[in-house]
Amino acid sequence: MITKDNLDKLTSDLKERAKELNCLYEVQELLSQPDATLQDICPGVIQAIQNGWQYPDVCQVSIKLQDCAFQTDGFVETEWFQSAEIMTQNEAVGIISVYYLEERPQAEEGPFNDDERKLLDAIAAQLGNYLFHQQLKEIFENQKGQVSKRKQEWDTILELLERTDIKLLIRISRKMVNSLCWSGIQEAEPLLELFSPVSLNDGGLLGETNFPFVKKVSNDMPELSRRIFEVASQHLSESEILTSIQKWIQEDRSSFLVDTLEDTGSTLAEISSVIERYYHLTAQGVKLSTQREMSFRVSLIRRMLSDQPSFFNIAKNYIHVKDFNVFMQRIIYPQDSHGKLGGKSAGLFLAKQILVNASEENELFKNIKTPKTWYITSDGLRNFTSYNYLEDIVEQKYKDIAQVRKEYPYVVHVFKNSAFDPEIVKGLSLALNDFGPVPLIIRSSSLLEDRLGTAFAGKYKSLFIANQGTMEERLNQLMDAISEVYASTFGPDPIEYRSERGLLDYHEEMGIMIQEVVGKQVGDYFFPALGGVAFSHNEFRWSSRIKREDGLIRIVPGLGTRAVDRLSDDYPIMFAPGQPRLRINVTHDEIVRYSPRFFDAINLKTRTFETVDIRQFLKKHGAEFPYFNQLISVFKNDRIQPARPLGTDFEQDYLVVTMEGLLRHTSFVEQIYEMLKTLNETYDHPIDIEFAHDGENLYLLQCRTQSYSEDSRRAIIPRDIPPEKLIFSANRYVTNGLVSDITHLVYVVPQQYSEIADHQELLAVGRTIGRLNQILPKRQFILLGPGRWGSRGDIKLGVSVTYSEINNTSMLIEIARQKKDYVPDLSFGTHFFQDLVEANIRYLPLYPDDHGIVFNEEFLEGSPNILTEILPDAGHLEQVIRVIDITAVTNGNILKVLMNAEEEEAVAIIAEPSGAPEKTPRKNESFARSIKTDVHWRWRLRNVEGLAANLDTARFGVKGLYLFGRTKNATAGPGSDIDILIHFDGTETQRLDLMNWLEGWSLSLSQMNYMRTGIKTDGLLDIHLITDEDIASRTSYAAKIGAVTDAARPLALGSFVRR
Amino acid sequence: MATYNPFETAQKQFDKAADLLELDQAARALLRTPMREYHFSIPVHMDDGNKQVFRGFRVQHNDARGPAKGGIRFHPQETIDTVRALSMWMTWKTAVADIPLGGGKGGVICDPHNLSQWEQEQICRGWIRQISKNVGPHTDIPAPDVMTNAQHMLWMLDEYEMIYGERAPGFITGKPVGMGGSLGRTEATGYGTIITVREALKELDIKPENTTASFQGFGNVSQYAIELYHQMGGSTICVSCWDQADQTSYSFRKKEGVNLKELLSITDAFGGIDKSKALELGYEVLPGDAWIEQEVDILLPAALENQVTGETVGKISKRVKIIAEGANGPTTIEADKEIFERKIFLIPDFLANAGGVTCSYFEQVQSNMNYFWEKDEVLGKLDLKMTAAFIAVSDFARKHNLYMRDAAYVISVDRVAQACKDRGWI
Repeated sequence: MITKDNLDKLTSDLKERAKELNCLYEVQELLSQPDATLQDICPGVIQAIQNGWQYPDVCQVSIKLQDCAFQTDGFVETEWFQSAEIMTQNEAVGIISVYYLEERPQAEEGPFNDDERKLLDAIAAQLGNYLFHQQLKEIFENQKGQVSKRKQEWDTILELLERTDIKLLIRISRKMVNSLCWSGIQEAEPLLELFSPVSLNDGGLLGETNFPFVKKVSNDMPELSRRIFEVASQHLSESEILTSIQKWIQEDRSSFLVDTLEDTGSTLAEISSVIERYYHLTAQGVKLSTQREMSFRVSLIRRMLSDQPSFFNIAKNYIHVKDFNVFMQRIIYPQDSHGKLGGKSAGLFLAKQILVNASEENELFKNIKTPKTWYITSDGLRNFTSYNYLEDIVEQKYKDIAQVRKEYPYVVHVFKNSAFDPEIVKGLSLALNDFGPVPLIIRSSSLLEDRLGTAFAGKYKSLFIANQGTMEERLNQLMDAISEVYASTFGPDPIEYRSERGLLDYHEEMGIMIQEVVGKQVGDYFFPALGGVAFSHNEFRWSSRIKREDGLIRIVPGLGTRAVDRLSDDYPIMFAPGQPRLRINVTHDEIVRYSPRFFDAINLKTRTFETVDIRQFLKKHGAEFPYFNQLISVFKNDRIQPARPLGTDFEQDYLVVTMEGLLRHTSFVEQIYEMLKTLNETYDHPIDIEFAHDGENLYLLQCRTQSYSEDSRRAIIPRDIPPEKLIFSANRYVTNGLVSDITHLVYVVPQQYSEIADHQELLAVGRTIGRLNQILPKRQFILLGPGRWGSRGDIKLGVSVTYSEINNTSMLIEIARQKKDYVPDLSFGTHFFQDLVEANIRYLPLYPDDHGIVFNEEFLEGSPNILTEILPDAGHLEQVIRVIDITAVTNGNILKVLMNAEEEEAVAIIAEPSGAPEKTPRKNESFARSIKTDVHWRWRLRNVEGLAANLDTARFGVKGLYLFGRTKNATAGPGSDIDILIHFDGTETQRLDLMNWLEGWSLSLSQMNYMRTGIKTDGLLDIHLITDEDIASRTSYAAKIGAVTDAARPLALGSFVRR
Repeated sequence: MATYNPFETAQKQFDKAADLLELDQAARALLRTPMREYHFSIPVHMDDGNKQVFRGFRVQHNDARGPAKGGIRFHPQETIDTVRALSMWMTWKTAVADIPLGGGKGGVICDPHNLSQWEQEQICRGWIRQISKNVGPHTDIPAPDVMTNAQHMLWMLDEYEMIYGERAPGFITGKPVGMGGSLGRTEATGYGTIITVREALKELDIKPENTTASFQGFGNVSQYAIELYHQMGGSTICVSCWDQADQTSYSFRKKEGVNLKELLSITDAFGGIDKSKALELGYEVLPGDAWIEQEVDILLPAALENQVTGETVGKISKRVKIIAEGANGPTTIEADKEIFERKIFLIPDFLANAGGVTCSYFEQVQSNMNYFWEKDEVLGKLDLKMTAAFIAVSDFARKHNLYMRDAAYVISVDRVAQACKDRGWI
């Protein structure tokens, strides 16, 4: 734990360190001035040192060079001093010394500490370097002036190098001979061979000094290089040779970068320091060839951000070596770190760079920001576990998922009570100092997250912290949150997800992003004006005029958390940024009904994350809500208009979140749209972003390739489907997705519907659909009907239903049949569009009369209609509503709708249920999934069989037990209950006993299921008792026994007891 | 098999009334079909640069009693027969309320869900440009209807005024207050319904303070109806409403009487009552259709169609004496028969909810003279109009021993036919 004392010590150390760094930067700055002389530079260096040392008031400095000396005013030598020699080409050319006028407390080297020694050495080295390059520069300049006079100027340079830096001469000669050989010059080849294997292996030498074996080859080197350049001069012009030499000498200075970057063993600290060195070299005018710069970029990207080719192929064009310098300083890493930043960090960094690049041409990007972010490298997690002796945790992923789930709360507890490595704590304190007391979000940034196609969305934790209180409290809040995010790596959800995708063995490390929460404080709450997500491809088009590429925005007031997830009790504002004027909600009723009612915020007082009722909040705080006029509209006098600055009565007016002002009066939509387009084009893949707006600026929070939930990813449309298996096809307004395991199809026959002459009868169709919606297995049936589902008023245009009458369907299909000379417009589900989106009910329009479209009327109108089996009193509608039991008419198969937006194609085909064993192995992913699905119904069946076997029939008065619904149909999911029919013929006491006994089973099974899947239920059994009478009259659920569709299946009773 | 045609249904209804009135052939011929129909094209420059042409209509069924009056609908699959039927219903509606207006209806085939605001504005203005010569404050007065609202009306009014170079607020109703709208419009329908209930109670010789009522729906109509009903001393026992979150409706019951203010404080903009808060306040939460089976004197279906059906009519308590149809078409034909047989006093929809159209008429009157009344004045005049309209229908029903619905229908047809005769048209 952190205490006040060691925190103070830490803070003062940090300040000292910052002072020293500053000193070094100042020196580097001075040396990098292009035409400055020693006389210009040295006084500044002296000044910088004076300020940089621990006791500036008694500090004096002297610099002595061969032909000149500099010192502080009133300089006197004392006994408290330290010095460093200034070297060029291994030769001392001067000395730099620091003296204290008075005695100061003893440190590592007299009154001087270790860091000051390092600093002085670094400054001396920099000066030496500077002097050497000044010399070289002079020579080049002299040579240039005499090009025409002398024939072999390069000779002079070689001579100089021979005298001063033989290693450089070797490297340059070697490069020349390489270059000659590559150009196909045969005379060079024997020369190449003269480089002995030992001397060839100069990889370890580059840029470093004092390697003994250099001397071994030095005897014949000058001769060899002379011969090489003789050959070169026969093939290359004087100036070509000179240019090459010059370039190589320059590049040689950056060779340390190659060493460090190419060496997979180099630590992050080393990389960080070489990037810093490189940064100052470039400031001194050292330029790299484009190719070399590119190779550095790629190395850095691979090392720091991602080793996925899909990533660095794009990133290398946008991220420059210098870009690393800034953010390297905000990376926290353990000693000897080899970590990366992880997918989320890398994605955001790249996206930002792409936008920065594009902002040169596009004004709209100029003000898009990213929040201040600090990073912990991915090996921080390993460091954390090993620091706390938690290494065993890696075994977690190989345990049974039930055990993982059981142990997870303990893992969290242990993690939260573990300490961080002091190195990391130091980094975190620096970060908190830098952030100040503003709320932070701690995001996971795992290595797996950046892989194309693995959408870990929401699998790992992201935590908000208020970051309030004393430094000590804030640091503890931060560490607590980080350890919780770390613990989430070992949570059951990600482990299960990885296991499903065969990623369990992939080395998973977890980087952390510590990001400033964008927002403003209002009252006790801190939140942005708005937050949300945007997708470059719109998978939920509500109008035929909206194209996929018009994108989709989901946006909410406050923190974007409510836009990310689908909500059950609230709605985000949605629109297509490419066509912002085409709204989903048009009538006042729709606009108000589908407007957000709550927002998420951080309560700074209680330091918690809260969901707040927006109307209540506005009553109290009114226009203090950031961006109020852009977000809120007033519903008054039968009009909904954006709130006006002084015209809103917060007590009386009916306020509605519409974002209307944002759309009408700001460039927000354009910014998002352009951003989506640019990123989409650059990635050459659909992307999604998270954003927030604080009322002043738009912030990009996250960017990744568009992720799809399991059921909305692109389906592969099979070719050569046998005609009898193809029920319908579509090729207009298709979205991506797969709707599988459809056991029932409800078809409202368009021709029959249009011929109904009685208004009541038309309404009755809607009510009947509503009843079917209650009875048919949830999310396992689809509705097909003419025209516009949910028509109001003129209901001839489509079946008049409310959302509650269709809310159990898995898919809503509208059929547009050619009428005389026109094809009617479809509704695209607009009557309850947002309800469909939030409930993930898919929509598809069919145009059966289009060329090349299949609409299998033989199947739809020829298959037996079981409407009256289910609803005996609906006989009069038998011609209009056809209910087809797919499983019954296809011998146990199901219907599947495959949709592929890229190919604008969808098909509904008869296929085997996904729970059934596969005949042909599918692609990995779907195969894994099918096994997964398989598990749930099998587990249920096994247990119910056990229950039946244990049931004492005599004791409870039970005559039979039947299974129906999803378990019987082999489609049960992780949260499905088990539908059981019990044929009961006993006394009331027996009934109570039985129900008690079953209740026990139900709760036990529920608990077991929770351990397996993490889904909590109040009991897992759904029990329906039926009597002899019910069976005789086939009332209620008794109709399921021997039913035409979804018939209940009898189970063997009491076998266990009897035995 | 014939397809359902709303116009034919409306004609059959008319024929029934015409038979009772023994109207002659000419009167039937004139009233069976609209007097004028306008069909026109509205070219619109779309946002994406394309041109699109929309079909517009205006049907003036009859203007013998005064300028035609009726809404403008934006509907993607509008048919001329629907517009004809609706225009005819408007004629009967204004006639039964006995206001000096005729019946009309219009619309554009379009789906606002597919259109931007700008495009909708262009459609509105285009509609006016095509028909401006045949509509006007003294000819034909539009109003908002399906998928149109005050904004559309203001665009239309503005275009009309631009063409004629003068202000003509009386050309359109449904305008916002301050832009030519009338006060009291929100209250009008609900108050109007209760005014008819009050008159019915008088006829039945029952004191309002001794009555209880159950309401279906808790929207605008119900809320103001309850307000006035409570002022009269009545007690509301039960209110039903739609629950958006649960996607079902509930009935909220308090046997000692609902407190309107309290209930309004837990109600959203669309009349959805917060279920859990209602429980806290001591309301019983019952299934959505429980409102109909309450032991009350008055039933007020005030939200949806088809609430009193062959199935549910049997649940109506023996105590119920009045059914006042605040909503349009809440009762089916089968239910009508039983209500008639059980001698329950029915106040038919186009009489019970005529408060709305009456207030539109007031808006037009005020706009024409550019002088706007205080709310009290509007509501006072509403009371007079509604009372007179109710007494006329009720007397007629008693005199001719007709079911109230038939009486209201016959009286309005009779008034229109008479106006046509007076003008010498037939």
